[in-house]
Amino acid sequence: MSHPLSRRELLRTAGASAAMLPFLNGMSSLAESPYNGAPRKQRLIIMFSPDGVVPSTFWPDEEGDSFTLKESLTPLQPFKDRTLILHGVCDKIRGDGDGHMRGIGCLLTGIELFPGNVQGGSDTPAGWASGISIDQEIASYLQRNPANRTRFGSLEFGVMVPERADTWTRMSYAGPNMPIAPISNPYQMFSRLYGHQKDQEMLKSVLDDLKQDMDSVRSAVRGKDRKILDDHAALIRSMETDLTSARVEMKHAVPVLEPGVRQDNDNMPAISKLQIELLVSSFAGDLSRVATLQYTNSVGESRHRWLGINEGQHSLSHEPDSNADAQTKLTKINKWYCEQLAYLAKRLHDTPDPDGTGTLLDSTLIVWTNELGKGNSHTPDNIPFVLVGGAPGFKMGRSLKFPNVAHNRLLLSIAHGFGHQITKFGNPNYCGDGPLILS
Amino acid sequence: MNRTSLSAIFVLPVTAVAIALFTAQSPHAQTTQTAQKLTGQVVFRRQCASCHGEKGEGTAKYHRQLAGDKTQSELAAYISKSMPPGANARRCSVTDSKSVALFIYDAFYSNVAQARNRPPEVSLSRLTVRQFRNAVSDLLASFETFPTRNHSNGLSASYYKLGRPQGQPVLNRIDPQVHFQYGASVPVPQDPDPYQFSMIWTGSVYAPETGEYEFIVRTEHAVQLFVNSTRDALIDATVKSGDRTEYRGSVYLLSGRYYPLRLELYKGVTGVDNLEKVKKHPPAAASISLEWKRPKLAEEVIPERCLTPWVGKPLFSPTTPFPPDDRSIGYERGNSVSRAWEDATTSAALETAEYCGAHSKELAGYADDIKNRDERVHTFCEQFVERAFRHPLTPELKRRYIDAQLAAAPDPAEAIKRVVLLALSSPRFLYLEQGDSHPDSYCVASRLSFALWDSAPDEELMKRASNNELSTPEAVRAQAERMIQDDRAWIKLRDFFMLWLKADQYPDLAKDAKQYPDFDPSVAADLRTSLELELKEIALGDNSDYRDLFKKDSLFLNGKLSKVYGGDLAQDATFREVRMKPGERYGVLTHPYLMSSLAYLKSSSPIHRGVLIYRNMLGRILQPPPAAFAPLAADLHPDLTTRERVEMQTSPAFCHGCHSMVNPIGYTLEQYDAIGRIRTVDNGKPVNCSGYYRTVSGETVSFKGPADLANYIAIAPEAHQAFVEKLFQNLVRQPIRAFGPSELPELQTYFEGNGYSIRKLVVEIATRASLKR
Repeated sequence: MSHPLSRRELLRTAGASAAMLPFLNGMSSLAESPYNGAPRKQRLIIMFSPDGVVPSTFWPDEEGDSFTLKESLTPLQPFKDRTLILHGVCDKIRGDGDGHMRGIGCLLTGIELFPGNVQGGSDTPAGWASGISIDQEIASYLQRNPANRTRFGSLEFGVMVPERADTWTRMSYAGPNMPIAPISNPYQMFSRLYGHQKDQEMLKSVLDDLKQDMDSVRSAVRGKDRKILDDHAALIRSMETDLTSARVEMKHAVPVLEPGVRQDNDNMPAISKLQIELLVSSFAGDLSRVATLQYTNSVGESRHRWLGINEGQHSLSHEPDSNADAQTKLTKINKWYCEQLAYLAKRLHDTPDPDGTGTLLDSTLIVWTNELGKGNSHTPDNIPFVLVGGAPGFKMGRSLKFPNVAHNRLLLSIAHGFGHQITKFGNPNYCGDGPLILS
Repeated sequence: MNRTSLSAIFVLPVTAVAIALFTAQSPHAQTTQTAQKLTGQVVFRRQCASCHGEKGEGTAKYHRQLAGDKTQSELAAYISKSMPPGANARRCSVTDSKSVALFIYDAFYSNVAQARNRPPEVSLSRLTVRQFRNAVSDLLASFETFPTRNHSNGLSASYYKLGRPQGQPVLNRIDPQVHFQYGASVPVPQDPDPYQFSMIWTGSVYAPETGEYEFIVRTEHAVQLFVNSTRDALIDATVKSGDRTEYRGSVYLLSGRYYPLRLELYKGVTGVDNLEKVKKHPPAAASISLEWKRPKLAEEVIPERCLTPWVGKPLFSPTTPFPPDDRSIGYERGNSVSRAWEDATTSAALETAEYCGAHSKELAGYADDIKNRDERVHTFCEQFVERAFRHPLTPELKRRYIDAQLAAAPDPAEAIKRVVLLALSSPRFLYLEQGDSHPDSYCVASRLSFALWDSAPDEELMKRASNNELSTPEAVRAQAERMIQDDRAWIKLRDFFMLWLKADQYPDLAKDAKQYPDFDPSVAADLRTSLELELKEIALGDNSDYRDLFKKDSLFLNGKLSKVYGGDLAQDATFREVRMKPGERYGVLTHPYLMSSLAYLKSSSPIHRGVLIYRNMLGRILQPPPAAFAPLAADLHPDLTTRERVEMQTSPAFCHGCHSMVNPIGYTLEQYDAIGRIRTVDNGKPVNCSGYYRTVSGETVSFKGPADLANYIAIAPEAHQAFVEKLFQNLVRQPIRAFGPSELPELQTYFEGNGYSIRKLVVEIATRASLKR
């Protein structure tokens, strides 16, 4: 399998393995489970799709635990009792940047964008978000506690996110002005997750040839010069022993990826599947407990040709409500995203929790969201928030309607679901009434 | 608190020669032991040597050598119980046995004594860390084609009128460095619009040392900086966000190499055009500065001399951290292996394999759909292994290192990874060609290039080797003369000089800010540059002459240094050689960098200066002091000069033995204060620069001041010998005595007979060592 791995990525991986995984010892540190007796693990996935939804085919009419899924959300039927649909949650953040920029940039940060040089179709130019995003906040909260620490604090998956760093393509922030680029190439992600182990396997497989040649070099050297080669040969043997004992360590199967899937619009379904596979696998191996899964970008213009739709999504989303064809297509598109969500939920549900209690879905909260409530109005009101799985404090199997509440409060609820009892997140002006009560 | 009162005089890194260590015993205990050893020697000679030999080497009567791992007391017990042998022989007394044990243990029995007595030999050595990194980087670079490098400085600049570089630039020119304040106006008159413009600077940046470089861009606008990559930006601020005006990115670079650099600046917004709106307000101010922080030095605008408009190719080098190499005997060498080294080597081999796998198509020049893909992969692998081993491959090696690996991995990128990993883990790559009684041309090529470059042979050298053109001294010398012009040769020499001047570890040049308000980290960093420029001129200039190290009356100064050290340069002057007043400067011996590093926060240190000259320049052996002492605090002795304080502290008899040799040398440099400026007064009294030196043959040479000292070191044969020996060992990384007893005297004669040319000496050393059988 060949995959382009950027130099920086390589160096970062190498650097990380040098720092966190001293050579060879890394495998055994992965193998041990430091969580014995620790409280139950909680995991988070934030999934993003762009350009708003069609409200009439998205939001259930009813409130409470008896409700009917509308067309866009029908793929969630098998997980209906584990789904929580939150209507009435609004992005109140204003300031610099156009609606799409603020839509994605303030979505998980709950705070304004900095002024900058990126000019959108309206409003003033802006730069990056001025605060950390909730996924990173929770990841760093978990990493602070040795019992919750994982090899990767968080993993950012992308599906066809354009190779372009600007306000429209980033939703995760490690801090003010610190956007995190999602990895859209599954092979690059694979290498990040499992490259170390692959290296060990390759190393082990060349050792026989190395030892044999070492012996022939040694036999040609006489006298005291033999000593350094003898020492060296002993080190190689000891490395081999370590590699052999490290082999059985990985507790979960390394996923086998379908090779050669190119970064191409029409491959979006295949890439989505690969990324979900890797995401579930990384959770099964407890390599991380926080992940984001970003489909394209704010203003995403992907063409869902596999659904028979040739127009770009963003262009379609500007069509008025009266264009029934466009609304049908947009509903189809959002239903497709919902299918990805349902597939993710299913894969988590099919995978036993590595600590032996229930399935991964039991301990994972998936939050599916969007930068806009509705495409043609660019409204930041009624941002789609569909939650699947669960977390402490989240009573699932319901459709809730809130009276126009700030989304900062939902971000607080999510933090509280992880035991992170913060009272403010993002712009404190929108945190006044505390976390939304979802129990 | 004054640092002077805290730091110990004697906590100096021992760089010179292996030395018998004093233990912290009382003089009395030491005397007793010495006497006991003497008794042991007398008893051994009288009673034991007839069978065991004078040095325990054995005789016809008893042939086994006296050597082993018994402790002294075990030896003593054994001797008193069984020696001399024979049923009726009277055994050695307990007291005598102890004395004999003490003597033989130290003289020849113990492992340490064995090692000490062994005549030095060329020993098989692995690549040092430096050599490993260089060889890997150069090996990968050998698969790239580079345009011919010109020697101009600065960067190519293209100025564009729009906010993104599009169309034809309005101006192309060379900018010596990037450090501009445009204010609210246009950067160049050719640019029509102060509201939007953009620039691209391209070229290469020269890395003077190996390590992590931090690049810093300061601007109010959007920028992108690429260093050693055309694909991934080191600094990506194409999105301008908030009031941030400073961007930083780090990258690991190897010394003596040029790395491609590209900087782009964009004024104006991206996305949707908003010019009409912004033109209602005055244009925003613009400026840009491209700076760096070299490893362990202060931040500065990247100077013109480290920039060139020539654009090379990105160079790979492994960044894996390695354990440091042994330097206990005055030069870096790969004389042992350890678990940490093995782990680092494997990790670096994997890192390189990963890189080669990811770049397999460019390196091997194949595409998935071309017919001769497998052939190209095979050719690449063969060349890679051949270059790594610095030798053509036997059929057996081809089978093991290439065919077996290609067969094990059908995917070409994976196959290349395997080959690279295996080749870089192989002893054929990791060990230097040494000790061969019949060195072939390849062996000569390899020795030569590691001696001059600390790296593997280049294409030219390998070509000579394959034509068997490296068998005569003339042919090898011609190559050495070619190779010494390469930057890598200078880096190797520079590193030797820095070790020689004890500046290799970047001494802390922090000084008291009240006393030396002009001396800050940037002056200290510039002084190091000044020293390097001077060393390069003396070592490799047209009139290369060792004696200039002690005689040159000029300094390399820029505007900033000139303010502190004289020379009347304009404030923004770049480095140039400036003739100083008579009697002020004597080459690197009195260079302000050296004087500052061999000094305390507020005061000079005649002892540090004396020790460096005594050990490193005159090649004398000096035992370390019996214990660490803190220097007397200056403020407790307000009436004394530095010289008087040092004299007072080192006057006790047990100090005097060594300090009477060292201090008088250091005193001659008392006209240089703690930052190496000239002074005539110390603590209110005229400085006294008189001193002396007791030579190897016991004569005393008196010095009236630095001129006499400098002149003496320039002509003293013992200094020449020390220089030749140290240079040899740092180039070849083997003891010079292992090359025969005549090597040092012959090279010294050559040196003295060739105008003390360092350049010629380097060529001669490399040539002789490469051809040695």
